[in-house]
Amino acid sequence: MAKKTKSSMEDKMARQYLILVLPGFLIFTVGLIIPLLLSLRYSLTDWDGMATEKIFVGLKNYVKLFQDKEFLDSWWFTIKFTVGNTLIQNIAALLFAVALDSGIKAKKIYRTVFFVPCLISAVIVGFIWLKMFSNVLPAMNDWLGTNFNFLLFGDAKTVLGGLLIANNWQWIGYWMLIYLAGLQSVPSELYEAAKVDGAGAIKRFFNVTIPMLAPAITICVVGITTGSLKVYDLLVSSTKGGPGRASTSVIYKTYTTAINGRQYGYGSAMTVTLVIALLAVALIQVKGLKSKEVQA
Amino acid sequence: MKKKIVSSLLAAVMVSSMLAGCGQSNDAGSAPADAAGEAPAQEQSNETEAEAETEAPAAEEAGEEVTLTVLAGQSTTDAGIEDMIDEALAEKYPNITLEWECVDWGNDFQPKMQQYLQSGLPDIMIGKAQDVATYAPQGVLAEIDSTYLDRGLDAARENVTIDGKTYGMVYNALYQGVYYNKDMFAENGWEVPKTMDDLQAIIDDCNAKGIKPFASHMVDTWSIGNVTMQFMMNDVFNNTPDWGDQFREGKVSFADSEEMKTAYEYNKLIFDNTYPDTFSTEQTDCDAKMVMGEAAMKVSGSWSIQNFLDIDESFNFGIFPFPNQTGDSKLIFEPNITIMTSAQTEHQDAVNQVLDVLTSDKELAVEIYDYTKTASMLKDVSPTFENPSQADIDQYAADGNIVDVTLGNNQLVWGGFQEENAKDIAAWLQGQESFEDALAASDGRVDASSAN
Repeated sequence: MAKKTKSSMEDKMARQYLILVLPGFLIFTVGLIIPLLLSLRYSLTDWDGMATEKIFVGLKNYVKLFQDKEFLDSWWFTIKFTVGNTLIQNIAALLFAVALDSGIKAKKIYRTVFFVPCLISAVIVGFIWLKMFSNVLPAMNDWLGTNFNFLLFGDAKTVLGGLLIANNWQWIGYWMLIYLAGLQSVPSELYEAAKVDGAGAIKRFFNVTIPMLAPAITICVVGITTGSLKVYDLLVSSTKGGPGRASTSVIYKTYTTAINGRQYGYGSAMTVTLVIALLAVALIQVKGLKSKEVQA
Repeated sequence: MKKKIVSSLLAAVMVSSMLAGCGQSNDAGSAPADAAGEAPAQEQSNETEAEAETEAPAAEEAGEEVTLTVLAGQSTTDAGIEDMIDEALAEKYPNITLEWECVDWGNDFQPKMQQYLQSGLPDIMIGKAQDVATYAPQGVLAEIDSTYLDRGLDAARENVTIDGKTYGMVYNALYQGVYYNKDMFAENGWEVPKTMDDLQAIIDDCNAKGIKPFASHMVDTWSIGNVTMQFMMNDVFNNTPDWGDQFREGKVSFADSEEMKTAYEYNKLIFDNTYPDTFSTEQTDCDAKMVMGEAAMKVSGSWSIQNFLDIDESFNFGIFPFPNQTGDSKLIFEPNITIMTSAQTEHQDAVNQVLDVLTSDKELAVEIYDYTKTASMLKDVSPTFENPSQADIDQYAADGNIVDVTLGNNQLVWGGFQEENAKDIAAWLQGQESFEDALAASDGRVDASSAN
C-alpha cells in the first residue's frame, strides 16, 4: 500500500515537472529544433529558396563544401577572429576587473565607461568604427601632423585588426563585469591564509584568484568563442565582408550564399556544419574548463 | 519512465515538424508555378485577378478603407519618394493607404522577396527592371494593364516583357558612364575620349599635372560590380548579346574570353589611377572630391548627380560612355524604379488606382524625378532640375548610341553572380588573389549566373 502511494506521488511529481518544462520545451522546439531540422533537410536538396521543387541531392552539398575555397577561407577568417577575441577579451577583461577590484578611486565611473559600449547594437558599433577609421582618425592625423595608417578596414592585411579593435571595444566591459562579480565572491580568508603562508601578490593571483575564477573563466571563454564564431552584424555595417572577401565570416558567407546567391540548399549545409562546430567547441571548452573549477 | 515520456514527446514533435515543413512548402508553392507548370499558374493567377476584379470594385468604389502592402527596394537616390507618393495618393484616393517596407535594393530586396515567396507577396513591389526576369517566371507577378503601360515610354517595355506579357511599369531611368568635370576638361584642352588611346592620353596628362584621373569608392563592392557591367556592356554584350547564354552552355568562359578579360582589366586601370584610399572612401566623400576638382572623372551613374548638385549646385559636369576596344561604345541606360504587382492581390482595383496615380499625376512624377535627379520614363513628363549632363545624354540619344543595361543584367544576374565577381575583382586588386583566379572564380559560379 505504502509502495503504491509512493509510486503515485512520483507520477504526480513527474507530471508537475513535465508541465513546468513544457513552455520552455515548446519554445525551444519551435524556435531552434524545427529550424535546425529543416536546415538539415534543405541541406540535402538543391533548393534555390524560391522554386517549389526541392530535388534531393544526398550529401553532394557537404562534399562541395570541403572543396569550396571561399567557404574554407571564411572559416579561416572566423577562426582567426575568434582566437583573437578570446585571448584579448579574456585577458583585458580580467586585468580591468582586477584593477577595479583593487580599490582604485572612481571605479564606478570606470565600470560604467567600460560597460556602456556593450549596450550599443553591433550594427551601430560597425558604423562607429567605419567612420572612426575612415574619417575621424585620419582627420586627427591631419590635425596632429602625424602619419599613422588608420585605414584598417580598407586593406585586406589590416581589416582583421580593425575588426578586433571594434569588437573588443564593445565587449571587454561586459566580460569585465562577470570577472568582477567572480572576484568579489572570492573569500578574503583565502587571501589571508595565502599571505600567512608567505605568498606574494603574483602567487596569490595565480594560486588563489585564477582557480577561484574558474567558473567565470568558463562562462567568458565559451561566451566569447561562440559569440565570435557567429559574427555577422558587425561586418554588415563595417566591411561587408571585404575588401574582397578578406573579412567574410562563416555566417556572412552562409547568408550571401543562401539568400543573395539563391543556393538555399548549399547554404543550409554551411549552417549545419557551423552548428556542429559550435557544439563541438562549446562541449570541449566546457568539459575542459569544468574539470579545472574548484569550489570555495 | 519519465525519460521515455520526454523522448517520445520530443520524437513526435520532431517528426511532426518535418511533416509540417513539407506541408508548408507545398502550400506556398501551390499558387506560383514551377518552370514546368508556368502556364497553369498564370491561369490560376488570372482567375484570382478576375475574382478580385469582380468582388473588389463594389467595396473599393464605395470608398472602403484599403491598405496595400508595398515592398520598395530602393536605390540610394530613392529614399523619401514614398512620402511624395502617399501625399499624391491621399489627394486622389484617400481610402487607400500604402504600408511601406523600404529596403536597400542591392542588399535586401532579393532576401525579402525570397521570404515573401514563401509567405505571400505584398500587393505592390518596387524594384528594378531586371527583377521582372527573376520573378515573373515564378508565376507570382500580375500583368500590368495597358492603360498604365501606355502612359510610359515604349523603350522601357522590352526588358520587362516576357512571352508578350508586361509585368513591370518602368518609372524612371538612370544613365551610366564616365562623369567628367567639364570646366577641367576645357581648361586642359581635353576632348571627350572615344577610344582607349584617347582616354589613356587624358589619364597621362592628369597624372603629369597632379590631378587624380578617377574618383572612385571601391569600399562599396556594388560600385565595382556596377562599373564592371558598364565595361562588359560595351566590350562584350554590345557584340554578343547572348554571351551569358553561351556561357551557361559552356561555349565561352571568363578565362578564355579576351573581351571579358579586358572588361575586368579596366578595373585595374581605374584602381591604378584613383585615390590610394579608395577601399576606405565612401561614395559621399568620393563625390565631394570630384566636385571639389580633386579628380577629373568618375565611372558612375545618375545616382551621383544628387550628391554632385547637393555639394555644389553650380558644378559643371558631363557624361560619356567608357571607351571600348572598338571605339563604338554606347552610353548606358538603366530602367530603375520598376513597379510590379502581385498576381495574388485581393485588391486589384486599389493596386490599379495606385498605378493610375503614379502614371497620370505629372506633378508627382516631376517631383520624384527632380528629387532623385533621374530621367523620366513617362510620356510627356520631363524633370525640371538643371542637369548639366543632359546635353550629352540628348546627343547620344539622337545618335542612337544608348544601350539598355538590363540586357547584361538579365544575361548575368546581379545577386549571387555579379556581386560575387566584384568581390573577386576587389581581392585581385588588393593582391589577395591572381587575375586568373578571379576569372576562374567567375567561371566556377556559372550555376548562379542566371535567375532561373
